[in-house]
Parts: sequence; C-alpha cells; structure tokens
Amino acid sequence: MKKALAILVIVTMAVSAFAMGGKDGAAAAAGEPATIKLGGTWPLGDITGKQGSMAAQQAVDEINAAGGINGHKLELIVIDDEMKADKGASAFEKLITVDKVDMLIGGMASGVALGQIPVLKKYNKVYLATGAASFKVEEALGADANWYFHLHPWDYNQGASYAEGWAAIQEKYPEIQIKKLFLAYEEGAFGKASYDATKVLFGADDRYIIDGAPFKSAALGGGDYAAVLKAAKDFQPDLFLWAGWEADALPLLEQSKAMKFNPGIYLGAPPGWPADFGASSLANNVMLYGMWAPSINDISPVSKKFYDGFVAKFGIEPATYFAPLSYSAVYIAADAIKRAGSTDTEALIKALAATNYDSPLGQTVTFTPSNIIKHQGVKNQKILQWQNGRQEVIWPFDAATAKPVYPFPAW
Amino acid sequence: MKNKTSYAIAAGIAVIMIAFPAFLGAYPLNVARSVMTYMALAISWDMLLRSGQISFGIAGLFGLGSYASALAVLRGGMDPFLSIVFAAVFAGVMAYALGFVVLRLRSMYFSITTLALMEIFRIIIHNLHDFSGGPEGVVLPGVIFKGSASALYWLCLGGLFITIGASYYFEKSKMHLALTAIRNDETSARSNGVDIFKYLLIAFVVTSTLQGMMGAIQVQSYGFTMPDTAFDGNFTLLPLAMALLGGVHSTIGPMAGAVLLGVSAEWLKLQIPYGHLVVYGIIIIIVILFMPQGIVGMVRKASRTGRRSGRKAGASNE
Repeated sequence: MKKALAILVIVTMAVSAFAMGGKDGAAAAAGEPATIKLGGTWPLGDITGKQGSMAAQQAVDEINAAGGINGHKLELIVIDDEMKADKGASAFEKLITVDKVDMLIGGMASGVALGQIPVLKKYNKVYLATGAASFKVEEALGADANWYFHLHPWDYNQGASYAEGWAAIQEKYPEIQIKKLFLAYEEGAFGKASYDATKVLFGADDRYIIDGAPFKSAALGGGDYAAVLKAAKDFQPDLFLWAGWEADALPLLEQSKAMKFNPGIYLGAPPGWPADFGASSLANNVMLYGMWAPSINDISPVSKKFYDGFVAKFGIEPATYFAPLSYSAVYIAADAIKRAGSTDTEALIKALAATNYDSPLGQTVTFTPSNIIKHQGVKNQKILQWQNGRQEVIWPFDAATAKPVYPFPAW
Repeated sequence: MKNKTSYAIAAGIAVIMIAFPAFLGAYPLNVARSVMTYMALAISWDMLLRSGQISFGIAGLFGLGSYASALAVLRGGMDPFLSIVFAAVFAGVMAYALGFVVLRLRSMYFSITTLALMEIFRIIIHNLHDFSGGPEGVVLPGVIFKGSASALYWLCLGGLFITIGASYYFEKSKMHLALTAIRNDETSARSNGVDIFKYLLIAFVVTSTLQGMMGAIQVQSYGFTMPDTAFDGNFTLLPLAMALLGGVHSTIGPMAGAVLLGVSAEWLKLQIPYGHLVVYGIIIIIVILFMPQGIVGMVRKASRTGRRSGRKAGASNE
C-alpha cells in the first residue's frame, strides 16, 4: 500500500514538473510575440560547446543592440546536449514543442546529431548545424532534408582540403617534401573516420605512403601513447598527424619528446585545443587543422570584431573554431530571417539558400550541394601552425598570416 | 484487503502511465523514455544484486542488445519489433553461456569480470568493421513506428512493465528466498539445499535479457547506434546510482531513485545550463553519504520509528 502510494506521489510530482514546464513555455511565447527565438544545443561541458554557445549569445546581443531583426528582438535558448544522443533529441523536442523556437542552430558531435535526426525529420524545422562532420549524418539525413543547413565541413570535405593544402604547400615551399605520412587516431568514430578519409584522399594516386595506428584518448580513460608513437617512430614519417581530443594534445607531445620522436611536420587535428596550449614550450611549431585562429584578425575586420567582442564580454580568448562558427550561424540566421521577412519555413529555406556572408572565419559562406544534402556551407579547413604562442594561418594562401616553419625543431 | 488495495492502486498508476501521451507533449514523453530506460536498467541491476553479486556489466549487455537488434534489421532484414525480441533472447543466451564461467566468481572478482566483458563486447564491435560499422556505427533505414512519440513511449513503457513484472516475480516467488539466502550466507544456503549456481544463473540470464531488451528498444527508437553511445559507461553508472539512491533489494527503490535522479537531472540542466553536472554530482554524493540505505530505506526506518513510539505511548497510557 505504502509502496504504491509512494510511486503515485513520485509519478505525480514528475508529471507536474514537466507539464508546468510546457505551460510556462506557452505563456512566455504568448506574452512576447515580437521575439524571434533561436534554439541551440551544444555540449556545454566541452570547450567546443561552451565557447560555441557563448559566441552565439554574443552575436544575439550584438544584433539586439543594433535594433534586432526588422524591429523584433532575437532570443537564444541554449540546452546542454551532454554529448549524448538521447539528451540531444530530448533538447530538440523541448525547443520545438515547448519553447516553440523559430529556428534551430548549434551542435558539435556526430553521435548526438544522429540521435537528433528523427526529431528533425518529424518537424522539418530549419536547422543551421555548426557541427557533425561524419558522413553517416549526411547519409541519415538523405537528399530530401532541404531544411538542413550544414555549416561545418563533412569529413570527406576536410580530407580533400587537406590533400589540396599539402600539395599547394609543397609546390610553394620546395624545401617541404612529404612522402610518408603516419596517422595516430583515437579509436572512436571521429578518429577512425579521419583515418579512413586520410587513406582514401592521400592514398589515391600513390603520391603518399600512409600508415597509422589507433590509441585510446586521454579524454576516454587512455593517455598512454607509447605503442602508437613507437609505431610512428619506426615508420619514420615526414608528416605525423594525430586525430584525437584536446586532452591528448600535451600528453602526446610530452611522450613524443621523451621518446625523441621528431618528424618534419608534427600536426594535430582535434576539434578544440586546450585554452593555454600556446603557452607551452612544446607547442611551438606544431601544426594544426582548423577553421579559424586569432591571427585572422589581421586580415579580417569581421574576425577582429568577433574576437574583441568575445574577449570584452567573457574575459577569455576564443580557443576553438566552434566559437566563430556558432557566431556566424546566428548572423546567417538573422540575415536570412531579415531577408525572408518572416520565419515561415519555406521563406526561410529560400533566404538561407541565398546566403552570402562575410564570416569571421576569413572566408565568405554560401550554401552549395555536397554529396547528398543540398545546403553545405564551409567545405574546407585551414592548415595552421603554432608560432611563438600564436596560431598562424599557413594555407589557404589568400588567408595566410605567416610562412611555415619547417622542419619541426628537434627536441 | 491490503493486497487488493495495493493492486488496485498499482493498476491505477499503470493506467495513468499508459494514458500519459493523451495529455503530455513530445518533450515530456521523451524525458519519460529516458527515465524509464534507466529505471529498467536500475531495477534489473538490483535484481541480481539481491543475490549479493554486484555487476558492472549493464552497459555491455545494453550495447549487445542494441547491436543485436540493429544488425538483425540491417543485415538480416528482420522486422524492427521482432528484432527487439531477438536482441533480448540473444543477450540472454550470451549471458547463459558466459554464466558458466563468470558465476563461479564472487564479490569483486565477479564485478571486475563483468566490467571486462563490457569492454570486450565494445572492442569486438569496434573491430568487426564491415559487419558492425566499426567505430562509426550503423544507421537504420528508419525509426520504429515512424518515430511517433506516443508509440515510442508505449514501447519503452512496455519494456519497463516487463522489467517490473520480472522484478516483482523475483520478490514474491521462491527466487526471493533463494537469492536472499545466497546473499546472507552462501554456505548456509547450500547446506539447506539451495542450488546456488542454478539461481544465480537464472538471475544473471533474466537480468541480462532485460538489459539487452532495453538496449534494443533504445536503438530502434533513435535509428542508429555506435560503440561510444551503445556501450557508454553511463548505462552502468547511472542505474547503479539510481538504485543506491532509491534503496536496494527492492523494486520500488530503484524506481524512486530513477524518477528522482532522472527528473532532477533534466530540471537542473534547464535551470543551470553551464554547471548542472557539478550540482547533480554533489547531490548524489550528499544523498549517498547521508542516506546510505536509500530513500525507501529511510522511509521504512521513519515508519518503524513512528510505530514504535506509537506503541510506547499506548503502553504508558495503559
């Protein structure tokens, strides 16, 4: 009897809490009809999601300070997806059905995006995605998802741009010659996809000899890279690339130094770097893949505006390209809503498809078809290098802020 | 009379839960699915714990069920609903085979072995790239029941009801006596004729079947799986924390813990977007430190104290 009553009380409390949540959302929507709502999910416990959501809020504040969109204030509702598929899906359900947002933005991990896709397909809500590089996401979306606008390059886009970049660098700087390439990759989906794409894109015409080995990321309980570094050292690569998470960045370098492993090019490709990585003496001349660096401020006024605003608002430097990417997403959304003159889905899709945005990434963003979807934004990454504590752009040359330092100095 | 009232209230609650989609939106139903999944895992973990065996293999069997269901649909062309039954049976058969080895172990040796099994399952799936999709996982052609929020809710509720039913059977049948005897004193239980291995094997197979079933329901509800999500350590840790919070060795304890932790986690996330996990962790630590017997244990203790003081007061009046 008591057990049954206890269950009754608990269930009633839980249901009331969520039912009230729904009513609050509806009341807020009714009370503020003039507000245009953007709903975003990011992994807030990770630097990519934390800074991405902060930068999105910065853009919202800037737009509101400048008068909003056609007289309407812009509001951003952020929910933590905790890098879990079910949490990400649940967050989208809330944003769409309870908060009744006009448009969705954000995202980082492909695993979360895959869990969110059934919800997106159910509501066909316009979504401007800042993450999800895996081709599996594109496969799951299918060709009919015209409401899906993907800002971040797909994994195969990134691989293709790296191959193009290294070919261009070798042509421009003849002292840099790459024949043997070794990829150390974290054993999860991100690392394995990077390795597969590297093998396909770099191994296509036998120009490069490629080898690789997996490691368990420090972010997932690993942190011992001796085996993979030994395999790399024995291979004697001209270019050593690692694809893992930010937690691997410094331990990998420390263990490489301990093992006296110093390839000509030491390159990292995590989605985000530790905030103070550049301050480490080990970081100097490490190369990296990325979409943005503070040095782009030198060549792009939009980047400088973003950077100065971010530092002034939050007191820290943006340490991941997800910050300017999410900032861009808000501006692209606001511009499309302004041009569409409404938040009607079809009008919004049409306006977004016609986007031509001078972004803080140092390049103009437009949407063109990719392998499956119709609206792919950025298709390339940049090749950068840590030089004296600063990330410099090495390639593409039209956005370059420095020449490459080669070879990677011996330990 | 007391039993009849309890059954009537339980049936009333079940009816209300079945009727939730009539008055709750898609978001609360989605949260409810998450809570019910963890609740079923917490109850199933507790069912084996009643024998004194602490398993850390929940995520392994959950992931195994996920993949069995996904691959049955993708590679075998099986109907998604049937694949859930298949995955549950598959997890049960695997547990039956493994049980002959792992159930000879006791205490921490059993726990560590179940943890290792989870990792072994994950590594196997990781490396069968062509068959399992490797680290990138597999995407199903669609979500079961075309993604209908109500249907997905009822599917998960069905899984939970089966789990609660099994747990209730464990509580009310001779399984309860056998498992309690094994937990209290294995030697004494054996000398009283309890077939220890048989009962442990039944408990291990049944709980693994339930965990595999919930994994299959999860994968069919989201339409994809990958090793990092299917074998996520949270599917071991959270059910464990929920059962400890609610109170172990019962069905009601893990249920209470799952509702409280599940709902508070979601509520905290909305209230404190940038620090909810810290607060959540602190709450778990505080509750377990100050309520080691769990919520149900604390309520029972308070109820006993109340009765005792009532009797004392009655005696002094006489």
